[in-house]
Amino acid sequence: MDLTPLQEAVASARTVVAVGARTQWRIGEPVAPDAAVVRAPAGVVRHEPADMTVTVGAGTPFGDLDRVLAAAGQECPLDPADPRATVGGVLAAGLSGLRRLRLGPLRDLVLEVRVVLGDGRVVKGGGPTVKNVTGYDLPRLYVGSLGTLGVLAQVTLRCRPRPTVSRWCRAPEPPPAGTRPSAVLWDGERVQVCFEGVRADVDAQCRGLPEIDGPVLPAGAHRGRISVPPGAVRPLAASLAALRGLRWCAQLGVGTVHVATDDVPALVAAREAAHAHGGWLLCEQGAPGLPAFGRPLPNAALMRRVKDAFDPDGKFAPGRLPLAGAPAAGARA
Amino acid sequence: MLGTANATAEPLELALYARDAGVAEGHAVAVCWPATGAQLAAAVRVARAHGRPFVVRGSGTGLAGGATPLGDPVVIVTTRLDRILEVDARSRVAWVEPGVLNLDLSRAVRHLGLHYAPDPSSQQACTIGGNVGTNAGGPHCLAYGVTSAHVLAVEVVLPDGEVALLGGLAPDEPGYDLRGCFVGSEGTMGAATRIAVRLTPDPPEVATMLCAFASVEDAAATVSETIASGVLPAALEMMDAPITRAVEDFVGAGYPRDAQAVLLVEVDGLPAGVAEQAAQVEAIARAHGATAVRTAADEAERALLWKGRKSAFGAIARIAPDYYLHDAVVPRTRLVEVLGEIARIAAAHRLLVMNVFHAGDGNLHPLIVFDGREPGTWQRVRAAGTAILEACLDAGGVLTGEHGVGVEKRDLMPRLFGPDDLDAQARLRDAFDPDGAANPMKVLPRGSRCGELQRVPEGTWI
Amino acid sequence: MSGPLRLDPDGLVACVACGLCLPHCPTYRVTGREIASPRGRIAAMRAVEAGAAPADDAFVRAIDECIQCRGCEAACPSGVPFGHLVEATRAALGPVGPWWRRAAEAVALRLLAPRHTLLVAATWVLLAAQRLRLVPARLGLPRLRAASLRPLDLPAGGSPDAWLFPGCVMDAWMRDTHRAAARVIRATGAVVARPGAGADCCGALHLHTGRIALARRLAARVVRSMPGDAPVVVDSAGCGAVMKDYGRLLGTPEAGAFAARVHDFSEWLATRPPPPVARTGRTVVVQDPCHLRHVQRAHGAVRSVLRDAYEIVETDDDGLCCGAGGLYAATRPALASAVRDRKVAAIGRAAPGAVVASANPGCTMHLRAAGLDVRHPAELLAEVLDG
Ligand SMILES: Cc1cc2nc3c(=O)[nH]c(=O)nc-3n(C[C@H](O)[C@H](O)[C@H](O)COP(=O)(O)OP(=O)(O)OC[C@H]3O[C@@H](n4cnc5c(N)ncnc54)[C@H](O)[C@@H]3O)c2cc1C
Ligand code: SF4
Ligand code: SF4
Repeated sequence: MDLTPLQEAVASARTVVAVGARTQWRIGEPVAPDAAVVRAPAGVVRHEPADMTVTVGAGTPFGDLDRVLAAAGQECPLDPADPRATVGGVLAAGLSGLRRLRLGPLRDLVLEVRVVLGDGRVVKGGGPTVKNVTGYDLPRLYVGSLGTLGVLAQVTLRCRPRPTVSRWCRAPEPPPAGTRPSAVLWDGERVQVCFEGVRADVDAQCRGLPEIDGPVLPAGAHRGRISVPPGAVRPLAASLAALRGLRWCAQLGVGTVHVATDDVPALVAAREAAHAHGGWLLCEQGAPGLPAFGRPLPNAALMRRVKDAFDPDGKFAPGRLPLAGAPAAGARA
Repeated sequence: MLGTANATAEPLELALYARDAGVAEGHAVAVCWPATGAQLAAAVRVARAHGRPFVVRGSGTGLAGGATPLGDPVVIVTTRLDRILEVDARSRVAWVEPGVLNLDLSRAVRHLGLHYAPDPSSQQACTIGGNVGTNAGGPHCLAYGVTSAHVLAVEVVLPDGEVALLGGLAPDEPGYDLRGCFVGSEGTMGAATRIAVRLTPDPPEVATMLCAFASVEDAAATVSETIASGVLPAALEMMDAPITRAVEDFVGAGYPRDAQAVLLVEVDGLPAGVAEQAAQVEAIARAHGATAVRTAADEAERALLWKGRKSAFGAIARIAPDYYLHDAVVPRTRLVEVLGEIARIAAAHRLLVMNVFHAGDGNLHPLIVFDGREPGTWQRVRAAGTAILEACLDAGGVLTGEHGVGVEKRDLMPRLFGPDDLDAQARLRDAFDPDGAANPMKVLPRGSRCGELQRVPEGTWI
Repeated sequence: MSGPLRLDPDGLVACVACGLCLPHCPTYRVTGREIASPRGRIAAMRAVEAGAAPADDAFVRAIDECIQCRGCEAACPSGVPFGHLVEATRAALGPVGPWWRRAAEAVALRLLAPRHTLLVAATWVLLAAQRLRLVPARLGLPRLRAASLRPLDLPAGGSPDAWLFPGCVMDAWMRDTHRAAARVIRATGAVVARPGAGADCCGALHLHTGRIALARRLAARVVRSMPGDAPVVVDSAGCGAVMKDYGRLLGTPEAGAFAARVHDFSEWLATRPPPPVARTGRTVVVQDPCHLRHVQRAHGAVRSVLRDAYEIVETDDDGLCCGAGGLYAATRPALASAVRDRKVAAIGRAAPGAVVASANPGCTMHLRAAGLDVRHPAELLAEVLDG
């Protein structure tokens, strides 16, 4: 994959912001408006079905990737809400999909990254094999970095066999121990649950439950994602239920709670509830003017040093991550 | 804060900390055994105040020299930090101190129907802290993921003596994944003092199968085809003939002594899926000429089969006194070819090489066995080792899949990474440890940081 | 290589430093230090043997702190003969420790153990002292009873179906166990006798403290005391382990043949038609004496003989040593009780308050001193014999 256009674009700009499909553009603080827009190349570079790995340009829309994998009976559970989202965008935003309960977080899917740094150099981290501890774990560092450490140009991802059956059901209560749901969503009254695997197992787990087309998440002009320790979901839910105009739905066993509302104050109140339960509320949509994170980031000083190590000139996505201290301009050796 | 009972500079005792289970040797100026996280932090500060680097060590079962003291450091041992602090069965999280042994944790939560999934073959002896240090893998990491997929948060003493909590129990901590950076950093970014790990529910159904083959190629082909067919076994391990016999001598688990290779395959999950996958594996094995396929009848038989697999490294000393072990990973599609190449290299260097490895994820452990007392052997062993690694890299592999770089693979890093890649890694390390005080001279070769003067003293070790 | 310790070089190099033995070593478990671990002890032996380190105080302490439980040996996949290495090292070092300890050991091992009548006499003195409350409880000595010291009702010599070996300390202090063992043996229909003259002591304690010559002399006497080919039943795991190793210790074919006749009590019983017992349903936690589990590897038999009468519960510690170790509990009380704390905790986790079955007198005394109700499997069975 030819990365030179991207390298040149990055090297020649003063500040840059990598853009995918803008489906998760509200994640993080707004980027300085004068940052030059760059895009990572799109396209599947190599799919090794027998190895269950795939290498793609970071600009590849998830839907395109998914089609290629599906043809080989495989999948890569990046699971963005919108299939137009690019692979690089999903990884940079770092928010895992609904099936995290069974399939784990996004960060465990990335095997190798190629990143363009400020001076246009391409840096490789990780490796193409499914298991690897050679050197420091740059792939994980880039997941959730919101484009502030360089531009993800090309990534190698781990694939899995696509389940023969994948079914969403509505249930009166969470599935009992001994079942293996991929997702359990709970809105305080009803449960939506996803079972996957071979037909006999899925049938057995779904017995007596009405099937639904797919999960329904709360809708509204202003949306956020709460992240609390999974054990705090139920007490948090009690607080959220008391907020007027707030709709919510929790991923049980994970600790993610999706919230939506039509009025910003409800989102602010939900954020306070999240803080009270040891978590965060991340703005995902709307809520103009509301800070993205709502609290100072943990270990901001150490994160600042990491940021300076990769982006000493503060070139990437300026403003996105509120880290303590000023960029160490000219810190480069 | 650390009394004399908790620290020593006694020569004999120092000598016992000169190495881990790998081959590299170093020298410690002092060893200490803190009993609390605060004492550990104090030890780091004391070492720094005396201008000494520090090396944190768990059980010293590392195979890459990660815990070998280079640069005359203070060795900080975590064996007395061995408390399981909290188990939350509902949220499936445990907080542990770093010196808790991997298997002890699984045992302590067994009655809850839970276990700690990463299960290195050394799990009875290695610490969770060491596992975090090396991002350890194990047979069951094929389906469940390696250590880093099971560590939610780490409280660390940074190299400047400050304490920080990296990661957390909430699923999406904003900002950089510092937890992810720390796991696998081999003690070069500080010392873990408390670790929150994910506990995994025991699978409702397990089938453990032993497949015997008349050739290594048949076994390797079975592995490739199993993966390609969409079966995702919980574990898929391979042993060749000499290893199988050595193991059988030790445990008597009923491994076939006449097989040229055996596969230990485990599938788990819900009943129908397990039955289907087990049948699929058996069919593939038979199609590749398996001479026998046996399924463990009960938990006791299953435990015995695994005990055999997990004793393999130790058991080779029954064949020859020394071993040299590699840990490369190759794409699973290249297994047959690479194993053949390894056999050729061994023959060319007149050495005996054995294979016992995590076949399912392509993680090879070519094991050269020899008697180091015979003159000239070490040279041949080193030459063959390098040739084997080159062959793995040429096949699109990487240097280490689970044991880590340590000092062993350090100088081979440029084979996999270019100068810019190494520079980026060096910068990341510097962000955590600007003075290079944490486990110096490990992971990255000298001169990794572009355009920078060396700060490590020359010639402190060979 | 053969250096100052004269150790078997192949045994030494067999250690590949993998560390798999570490968790099975009681002294490592409680100290967390390499020098108190099998791997560390072997490395230290190697260094001394190669002349790279002196056999200084630190080395002597490292060897002396070893309980010789041989948990490491059973765990070692490389087959390192740890027990033999440490015995040989002890022999090369000679008696170690402070003067009072060496003196006490000399009295116990050179004077009393080889002369059984003297030992029994000393025991009467001890009993009297206990009555007068002159013996501090923390020594963990058993509470002696005069009734227990009455002579064993067993013929000496002859040609029995099975010999019951009484031993030294055990016969003086725990004769009730022998009585129980004899009852159970008889209940299987076998004729049992005790050895003729000379079977005063098996020599185990001597061997473990580096007094090999004396151990050999005692062993030779024991071999002569039980002629014929009837099985030799031993109800002390420590004695049994050494007696099974007489072939190597004495290096004669007769000793080898004798060793092959030695069986632990439960091991022998398991080969017999089961004696009639009443099922009690009572819970018993099995504690595996190291020399039964790691050396004789006969611990399975304890379970099979008790299973008919009791509910058996296992501890979760892989048979980690309890810290008794022959004279160890007396000579290294601090470490021994730290090791015991782990064992007591493991038993508590398994079945709090339950009776503990132990096939070794040393373990029994050591654990009783911590307040546990410990019985020999023979006693547990004798209690429930029908009729
Ligand atoms: C027989 C045998 C089988 C093995 N099988 C496997 C296997 O299947 N899979 C596998 O992955 N490995 C395996 N290993 C290697 C080894 O057991 C692992 O690397 C293990 O994770 C090391 O744990 P340890 O406690 O011994 O750590 P050590 O060896 O003491 O240390 C390992 C590294 O971690 C660092 N470290 C230790 N504690 C901390 C801490 N608290 N904070 C930060 N860093 C720390 C050290 O500095 C060092 O770099 C095997 C080893 C042996 C001998
Ligand atoms: S004694 Fe055995 S188990 Fe222990 S380190 Fe040596 S080889 Fe490994
Ligand atoms: S014999 Fe027991 S105490 Fe001695 S090193 Fe082995 S395990 Fe440790």
